[in-house]
Amino acid sequence: MPAAAPPATDAVALRGLLKIFRSAEGARVRAVDGLDLVIRPGEIVALLGPNGAGKTTTIDLLLGLTEPDAGSASVYGLPPRRAVLDGRVSAVLQTGGLLADLTVRETVRVVASTYPRPADVAEVIERTGLTALAGRRVSRCSGGEQQRLRFALALLPEPDLLVLDEPTAGMDVGARHEFWATMRAEAATGRTALFATHYLEEADAYAQRTVMVAGGRVVADGPTAEIRARASGRVVSASVPADRTADVVRRLEALSGVRTVDLQGDRVTVTSADSDEVAKALLNDLGGTGLEVATGSLETAFLQLTGTDAAHEETSR
Amino acid sequence: MNTTYFATELRRKLRDVVSMFFVALLPAFFFLIFGASQDFGDESIGNGNVTLYVMISMAAYGAVTATVGVGGGAAVERLQGWGRQLGLTPMTDAGFVLVKASVAVVVAAVPITLVYVLGALTGARGNAVAWVLSAVVVLLGAALFALWGLCFGLAFRSESAIGAASGTIVVLGFLGNIFFPLSGTLLAIAKFTPLYGYVSLARYPLTEKHLASADGAPAIQEALWVPALNVVVWTALLAGLAVLLVRKGRRRQ
Repeated sequence: MPAAAPPATDAVALRGLLKIFRSAEGARVRAVDGLDLVIRPGEIVALLGPNGAGKTTTIDLLLGLTEPDAGSASVYGLPPRRAVLDGRVSAVLQTGGLLADLTVRETVRVVASTYPRPADVAEVIERTGLTALAGRRVSRCSGGEQQRLRFALALLPEPDLLVLDEPTAGMDVGARHEFWATMRAEAATGRTALFATHYLEEADAYAQRTVMVAGGRVVADGPTAEIRARASGRVVSASVPADRTADVVRRLEALSGVRTVDLQGDRVTVTSADSDEVAKALLNDLGGTGLEVATGSLETAFLQLTGTDAAHEETSR
Repeated sequence: MNTTYFATELRRKLRDVVSMFFVALLPAFFFLIFGASQDFGDESIGNGNVTLYVMISMAAYGAVTATVGVGGGAAVERLQGWGRQLGLTPMTDAGFVLVKASVAVVVAAVPITLVYVLGALTGARGNAVAWVLSAVVVLLGAALFALWGLCFGLAFRSESAIGAASGTIVVLGFLGNIFFPLSGTLLAIAKFTPLYGYVSLARYPLTEKHLASADGAPAIQEALWVPALNVVVWTALLAGLAVLLVRKGRRRQ
């Protein structure tokens, strides 16, 4: 046990977190694989990663919904479940969570009743734009409306830390915009927020800091603008004459801005910050044909950052 | 107890008109067939008559059907991720089980009331103790079977789990001495099944230590501790199992 707590407690402290799941085929999947993350009070952090990166499992561990196989998680210096009981942390989860045959108001009222000092029900309904829907059954609400309801439920304990797991998944553009407007107003009150997303644009628009995860680990962590620059390279691919491949690869690697050059048969794939330069060289000097230029996807960025496949699997012992 | 959650759950249950129709009317129908319209109904047993005996049995069956349904309904909620939502609140596992069990008892009161009123109108006779005490035991004991339905629902996590749980109640009803008086080996086995203790206890104010027997076989006697122990053991088993399963349900599905 540590002798004394540090003066300013971290909002989130995850250390060496490990969670292994067993798939139906008996393979062991390391959903979270030695993850470290510290978030200070007041930060707005995006947890960015492709599907299967371990975002949701990390959030489950952070909320005490599941226990880690190794490592530790604390929220404001408390064990996660304790922080939930004290109303310090709440969350909008990706899956389910609502009873279809209750009305919006009934749902808010029931969840409010579980807290010792909840926010005012009518006021929270107002703040999340649900007043007009308060009497409607949950089953008759759209996906975006249900998500706003989940958001309302998360606001009930007036939490210090708000966790959102892909809050806008399945929303149309209008609903997405509206949701983030509400979210921004809440964040302005000084709350700490952590949201998982696989949209780089959402991280860019709403988070000062972005933590990229892949394969259950943190692969990049820094100001969002910096992360964005690293992730936004382009991918150029072309077929090159089979007898010159080694020479082509060498000359491509020498170009400025080029990060990786990959050769499969006579097809060369180049990731670069300056795709025009690569394209020019391929077409003019290197005998390239069938040229394609694509915006680097988040997945490509992850591959660059990790150099491995996103999912780590171990065969069963 | 969280009364807001309790009241909302109750309203939700009573809004479900179709299922309430079956919960309330089926046992009443069974009573009219097996009890009220039989010519042996007026024969005396313990502190009352056979019609009262059948009435208590059918009320117990109805109450159990109701509570198993309430408990099993929790399965569907789990599928909808409600367990995860509640896992994000300070509501404890025990608090959740308590709310569900309380709702189950109130819903169970509906068929009990209906069958007892029908009993009073169709010739059930007994002393006041037999009437009142049996109703109390039927009502409170039914909570045990909310746990039965809950365990089924939480363990199997599908809508069909509710149907399966109700199915077991019919079988356990026969084994529990509800529909037909048992004897011999079957009776010996029956004493270990969950409905046996509950129904025997509910009929105890009427029968005292005498068990009913079919076709004029000599009456069998049984001490109070047998059904009492049965209920205590099953309650402890199911309550423990329910808490374990609720805990498991909080994880991602």
